Amino acid sequence: MIRVQELYKEFSDPRAGVFRALDNVSFQVKAGEIYGLLGPNGAGKTTCLRILSTVLRPTRGVAEVDGINVVQNPEGVRGRIGFMSCNTGIYDRMTAREMVEYYGRLYGIPEDKLQVRIDEIFDILQMHEIRDRLGGKMSTGMKQKVSIARTIVHDPPVIIFDEPTSGLDVLVARAVLKAVAALRDQGKCIIFSTHIMREVEKLCDRIAVIHCGKILAEGTLPELADRYQQSDVEELFFDLVQRREDEVAEERKHAGSEVQP
Amino acid sequence: MSWKNVRLIFMREVRDQLRDRRTLFMITVLPVLLYPMLGLGVVQMMLTFSEQKRVVVVLNADDLPEKPALLDGNSIHSDWYENGQDEPSRLRILAARTNAGTLAGDTDEATLAADIESSSGADHPPRHGEKTDAELLVEAHGLAEKIATLQSLSIPSEATEDSVTDRMAIQEQRSALQDLVSAEFGESGFQVLVLVPKGYRAAMLSMQDQIKARSEGTKTSDTHIVSVPAIMVVRNSADDKSSVAFARVQKALTNWEDAIRRHCFDNASLPVELEHPARLSYVEVAREEQVAASVWSKMFPALLVIMSLTGAFYPAIDLGAGEKERGTMETLLISPARRIELVLGKFLTIMLFSVATAVLNLCSMGLTGQQMASGIGRGIADTISLEFPGFGPLMWMIILLLPLSALFSSLCLALATFARSTKEGQYYLTPLLMVVMGLTMFCLSPSVEITPLYSVIPVVNVTLLLKGLLLNAPGSGNLVVYAVPVLISSIGYSMLSLWWAIELYNSEDVLFREAEKFDLRLWFRQMLRTKDAVPVFPEAVFCFILILMLQFVAMKYMATDLNVPDPGSSMLRLIVVQQLTMIACPALFMGLLLTTSLRATFRLRMPSLTAMGVGVGLAVIAHPLSMELSRFLVEYQVFPELPESARHVMELMKTGERPTWLLLLVFAVTPAICEELAFRGFILSGLARGGRLAIAVGISSIMFGIIHMIPQQAFNAALLGLVLGLLAIYSRSLFPAMAFHFCNNALATFYSTEPHQFNTDGVFLSRYPDGQLCYEAPLLLLCGIVGMLLIMHMIKVVSKEQDLKRRGLLPAYQEASAPV
Repeated sequence: MIRVQELYKEFSDPRAGVFRALDNVSFQVKAGEIYGLLGPNGAGKTTCLRILSTVLRPTRGVAEVDGINVVQNPEGVRGRIGFMSCNTGIYDRMTAREMVEYYGRLYGIPEDKLQVRIDEIFDILQMHEIRDRLGGKMSTGMKQKVSIARTIVHDPPVIIFDEPTSGLDVLVARAVLKAVAALRDQGKCIIFSTHIMREVEKLCDRIAVIHCGKILAEGTLPELADRYQQSDVEELFFDLVQRREDEVAEERKHAGSEVQP
Repeated sequence: MSWKNVRLIFMREVRDQLRDRRTLFMITVLPVLLYPMLGLGVVQMMLTFSEQKRVVVVLNADDLPEKPALLDGNSIHSDWYENGQDEPSRLRILAARTNAGTLAGDTDEATLAADIESSSGADHPPRHGEKTDAELLVEAHGLAEKIATLQSLSIPSEATEDSVTDRMAIQEQRSALQDLVSAEFGESGFQVLVLVPKGYRAAMLSMQDQIKARSEGTKTSDTHIVSVPAIMVVRNSADDKSSVAFARVQKALTNWEDAIRRHCFDNASLPVELEHPARLSYVEVAREEQVAASVWSKMFPALLVIMSLTGAFYPAIDLGAGEKERGTMETLLISPARRIELVLGKFLTIMLFSVATAVLNLCSMGLTGQQMASGIGRGIADTISLEFPGFGPLMWMIILLLPLSALFSSLCLALATFARSTKEGQYYLTPLLMVVMGLTMFCLSPSVEITPLYSVIPVVNVTLLLKGLLLNAPGSGNLVVYAVPVLISSIGYSMLSLWWAIELYNSEDVLFREAEKFDLRLWFRQMLRTKDAVPVFPEAVFCFILILMLQFVAMKYMATDLNVPDPGSSMLRLIVVQQLTMIACPALFMGLLLTTSLRATFRLRMPSLTAMGVGVGLAVIAHPLSMELSRFLVEYQVFPELPESARHVMELMKTGERPTWLLLLVFAVTPAICEELAFRGFILSGLARGGRLAIAVGISSIMFGIIHMIPQQAFNAALLGLVLGLLAIYSRSLFPAMAFHFCNNALATFYSTEPHQFNTDGVFLSRYPDGQLCYEAPLLLLCGIVGMLLIMHMIKVVSKEQDLKRRGLLPAYQEASAPV
């Protein structure tokens, strides 16, 4: 469902000249699976997911969603994905129902089907009591529910969650994670980024550890534990990150010595 | 593009804005309440203001003639005002009745007391903080004395030995005294001081007697008539209160003098008609609506412009930067709506609010104005009637409001999208308002009327057309013709800024750039470090601005050099210097500093022979077309004639035996090299970097036009710039463009300096009565067809190449030459 092949993304940056946010990233995600992108802040997770959701264009490489190239047919891709992150806000002056309806219409769902679909989603997420509440008057948990409803209103085959639990309290985060798991059980292809190990352990079928734009390791959790002789995910993660950081520092030193002979 | 989505987005945004209390307040409540409140405030202020009495001190009032009497008790006699009792009551006259304190006299307390006792205004009890009459009189006497001294201090005119130092001393004394008088007058409690000279009444009486005697023949006619000393009226016109009081005093004095004059005529047995020997009578033909229209014609266009801008601005900030700030932008961007649908939906929303704000404001203001005029009554209603403009002008206002709002809405949306936060967005309002206000103020000047040129300048076109239509002057029906260019150009500008907004929505750095600390040093280092083979868009724009600024600075030096012995040749020299230093140098310098490949930036590649041929051929073909076009445009007054100074310069350069090579060097070789390096070299390379060649050529040719300053030259240059840009891109080389530029300028030089050298045959070539060459229609047609074919060929070649690049079969321009 998702195929990412040798993806590069570079930004111009006042300090470092060109900043490489993604460096030769490749992975694939199948339907009915949750793929976890695990990495610290600034690792390139958001950049990668934004490329998949077509709001950023890759510098080089291929990214496909459901067989559709994100560069060649961004509208097609956008119709097939649901995207949710801590940045995707909701409108303050719109009620929950209006908000979900609005996006449903933008996705071109016929009106009669849309109403049925919305009722269905509101049932699942138990949000009937906030249906007429304005966004500005909702608690964080309610907002997050609306966000999820908005993400799945058009029943997309691929759903992208970019740190959906960041900044949420434990209860809300738990509800979100449950929703994600339920979606997987419906056979959706889900990509999920986070920096919290617990979520990965609980939720993800396969993970990739990403840092400084590079994928450091990829596989199911048992596979990784096997490969690196480290059964503790947290320790594994820190090892990998530390190694990558040393590498980057080495590269920088190297690059610096080239400039100043 | 799906209109369903546009409508969906539009409906949502409108609903969202309507739920926003601030927007609603700004757009509906404010105008509906603001104008009536302001009106009430103004009325109140006027009422309180008019109650204030101004004090006028008249010294030596006893010496005024008894008949006709200027004063009536402690006010001016109501006879001296045309309409009644109202005006004398606005002034309080404090008249000193005795002769005691005359100009040079000594003022002791006793005489003053007598003064006050005898002055009829003495019963006026001073209010708190006010000076008593006695104090006022003391001040008045003091001032009168100083003024007398001041007038007696005349500068010696004969040139004596020590006259210079004398004069200096007196000058100093005078100015010190002047300062003192002005300061004292300011601090005094009165606003006007009237000084009646000593012996005024006696002089007046004796004059009258003499006139009488003369007319009765008792005296010989050549006797000198005693002249009457002048009454001095002291005021300070820098002070509003003093000016107002003075105006009233002056009115009375003028009428009073008229009465005396009539009395004199009577004494001299002359007919009263002699007062106005050249009888004049003024006839007003303006109808009442027209007078009103002239008020509205100034108010409404200005208000329309300002209100449609502010009405567009605040919603735009919310819809653009606000959406980014709240994080809903990303949500919207990942919906399947296309960027153009998003922009259009938002644009229509903003435009709706802009139009609504303008209309509501106008209605509220118009109604308030009318209400006020009828409310506070006769005073204003007599002079200006505030009758609302008729249906026709109102319709025009609505029609013209639409393109105006469209322009502001799209511009504001683009700015708001560009801004990182609502706060940054707010900062953009001030410069935008300043520019728009400046343009509007320019239009309100009565001498500015709509012309073909003005009809394509944004904001100015709508304002001027509306002003003309509202004025409803005779012949304003012809103005309707201008509606076409005004509407078309306004729509064009709106489309341009909409396109900009869409571009911004497509640009990821604008959508996701974070507010980061700006460091000038870092930024500069970054610019130097990350340089490429060819410049980037902002660098190209900066290069143009630099050239423009240098031209602006140079204007002063270009103008002042007309006084040298041979202005013509120094002019020629200046042109070469200006071309080299102000056009070629900035481009070359920026090229060296900011790019890695001068060859790629300035297109220094060997062109094919065909390309050179096309360049030269096109120049020959373009010459007659551009000459006849500019002649036509001047004849039909699309552009003003060349300004006198410019024509003078042209004449100067033509006269005198100048060798042809010199003229060619100055007018053809230098511009061909310098201007091409800058405009088709650095600037076009930078603009074309994104791969949008048509836009790059368009912008570069507009820039090329702008630096030619004089409107008709600018227009011509912009058209030729299009061809030059195409030529440079088609040939991938600067040399064909240089060849074109050289040939075109050389032909133009010959055309204007030596028209007699061409043989005319009457079919292709003939002569205008003024000796200029005239290219006849067959020649123009031929040139037009061949030129078209050549241009189409070039466009075909270029677009084929572009197509290949797009499909990845040819390396894109910058990728091929950029270092990997």
